[in-house]
Amino acid sequence: MATTKNFLPEQYRQSNKLGINHNYLNEQFSDHEVIWTKMREVVIRGDFTLGSEVDILEKEYAQISGTSHAIGVGSGTDAIFLSLKALGVGEGDEVITTAFTFYATIGAIVTAGAKPVFCDIREDYNIDPSEIEAKITPATKVILPVHWSGKPCDMDAIVEVAQKYNLAIVGDACHAIGASYKSRTAGSLGTLACFSFHPLKNLNVWGDGGIITTNSDELADKLRLMRNHGLVGRDECHTFAYNSRLDTIQAVVARHLLGKINHITESRVAHADYFDKELRSVSQIIIPKRDADIYQVYHIYSICCQRRNELQNYLIENGVDAKVHYPIPMHLQPAANYLGHEKGDFPIAETIADSTISLPVHEFISREQQDHVIKLIKDFYD
Amino acid sequence: MTKITIPFVDMTSQFRNLEDELTKAFIDTGRSGVYIMGEQLESFEIKAAQYCGVKHAIGVGHGSDALFLILKALDIGPGDEVITATNSFIASAWVVAATGATPVLVDVAEDFNIEPTLIEAAITAQTRAIIPVHLTGRPARMDEINLLAQRNGLHVVEDAAQAIGARYHGRQVGSLGLAAGFSLHPLKNLGVYGDGGLITTNDDKLASKLRILRNHGLRNRDECEVWGFNSRLDTMQAAFAEIKLGYLDIWNERCREIAAKYRTSLADVVQVPFDQEWEECVYHNFVIRTEKRDELMTYLLEHGVDTRIHYPIPIHLQEAAKDLGYKAGSFPKAEKYAKTMISLPIYPDLSDDQVTYITHVVNSFFDELGKK
Repeated sequence: MATTKNFLPEQYRQSNKLGINHNYLNEQFSDHEVIWTKMREVVIRGDFTLGSEVDILEKEYAQISGTSHAIGVGSGTDAIFLSLKALGVGEGDEVITTAFTFYATIGAIVTAGAKPVFCDIREDYNIDPSEIEAKITPATKVILPVHWSGKPCDMDAIVEVAQKYNLAIVGDACHAIGASYKSRTAGSLGTLACFSFHPLKNLNVWGDGGIITTNSDELADKLRLMRNHGLVGRDECHTFAYNSRLDTIQAVVARHLLGKINHITESRVAHADYFDKELRSVSQIIIPKRDADIYQVYHIYSICCQRRNELQNYLIENGVDAKVHYPIPMHLQPAANYLGHEKGDFPIAETIADSTISLPVHEFISREQQDHVIKLIKDFYD
Repeated sequence: MTKITIPFVDMTSQFRNLEDELTKAFIDTGRSGVYIMGEQLESFEIKAAQYCGVKHAIGVGHGSDALFLILKALDIGPGDEVITATNSFIASAWVVAATGATPVLVDVAEDFNIEPTLIEAAITAQTRAIIPVHLTGRPARMDEINLLAQRNGLHVVEDAAQAIGARYHGRQVGSLGLAAGFSLHPLKNLGVYGDGGLITTNDDKLASKLRILRNHGLRNRDECEVWGFNSRLDTMQAAFAEIKLGYLDIWNERCREIAAKYRTSLADVVQVPFDQEWEECVYHNFVIRTEKRDELMTYLLEHGVDTRIHYPIPIHLQEAAKDLGYKAGSFPKAEKYAKTMISLPIYPDLSDDQVTYITHVVNSFFDELGKK
């Protein structure tokens, strides 16, 4: 008999016990009839692989990103992997990134054949640009800042060092759809930017999906070739490549939600602002720094707190889906053993990993639910 | 003969026939709020494993990733070589290159599958695995391949992208090597509505490794055991696949029936594929051969019949393969077939009348040719 136990990361699960969830897909699915009607058309046309809905989404996405190109791919992870490959990253190369991110950032670097080189973060959870220069070696090919939780990194400082050493910037913008830095969109902040349409992202699809933005015609052409078996036309293969395409039926979902992205983003920002305002007075909580010239979109709303694990348990017991994104930084993961890091190498990342907690701020959360969460937190510390 | 238009593929009829079931699956999965992994994927995986007669089936992003992940799980990488057939879809070779290893190509036999007697000469000290491709839905000659692999300490990874349901000595493809990669691409015999793939294996350790590798290398939500990949069969697609798996044998049987009709009516004028007594091909494609290939294709199209060539350029002659050191003449059979093959329409919803029409068109082409 097959033993097919899947490991299901907790964040995908919706718990019936919890009243206030991170997962809002049930609410979102109430719109399914209009989406199914359009998916059905795709199926009946047989327009499955890189179909017209993908083309249209790419144009729309490039437009909102203010870039010349958007290229739909299989996932946010693949977006990063393909971007690195398009830049020629391979065996022996180094990619500088943050120690505080999701595994996929590092998985993509390692899959590309390169070595991840970590920097510590600042109190806003994003890479500390002042650490980058010291990590640059002749093998460095790319700087890969992660716009964690939907807050763009300090890009002026990163661009300065990238230009000084002639390095490409691949932005991990998987959390950052709709975000901007000094009025520039997250998609336009580097050589290439990588987005995820994972089901729980601000702009999501109902499966895996991703998209890459760039202003480089050359890289865009290369990526379009690389995501589709290296094929030019049906029969000619110009380069051994990969297969990583955004499904056409998922592009239907993305386009539908793209029409609502301003509402989704503004709700999240409003919910985050409210938590900020109400929780700032709690002395056991530190609200990360907010910047006036950065528009952050709160894919994750994280704050630092004392007695984190106890608070998380208390919230869960009281029906609030409090999460930790994430308790172990990349350099301390078992997968990173070979890189030879130890505890203490990136103290801010480690401190934040020990004290961060995430609260739901998606567009379906109500003011009453937020007040309930706030009251629980205050009760806990009282 | 009244002209009838016959497309090369028809996915609409199948959808319309199953629409109620598929819509229900869409809504059920949608309401579950779980779109990645989860119980629906597990349910399909269990049924797919049972169907293929193996212990494990693992849903992944697509057929290419199925092979790529198997090779990665076997720690195949730079400096290694992997042997495969030159007459295949390009992915059979790029999955090897993507690991950093070198694809080593071998010519094919009359059944379009790798010629086992030519494999030995391609084996070097660097060879780690053989990927026989069950092209067109016909199992490769696995006994000979497995024996060679055993003697040389090589892994056998089946490229079963086109062959789900095919049998070899009564056993399902997917159970004939160490592991197998299937494609669930919409055009496949078992196709979903986007990219999808499946790995099968009887090896417990390999299966556990693959389950971790496809999902970011995660041991649990917070710990990453090995830097992995992201390649998962979307849960919604798994729901569609599970429904269609229930019909697969009926569909495959219909394709075999169509193949038999083609074979009977066309054997006098073109080379037709036929089953050996030990095999059951599922005819993902029905590929005929003729010296008048281009003329016949044009004639068929003029009479409303859309056809394809699988594949007009063998892998070793692709631009992508230029560094592998092959040239025109390296693999004479594959090169000859590339110039003489045509794939005729074949799918469960193709009617007997349509099949008869196609055979009439082919026969009348050769009649007219004879009169010239």
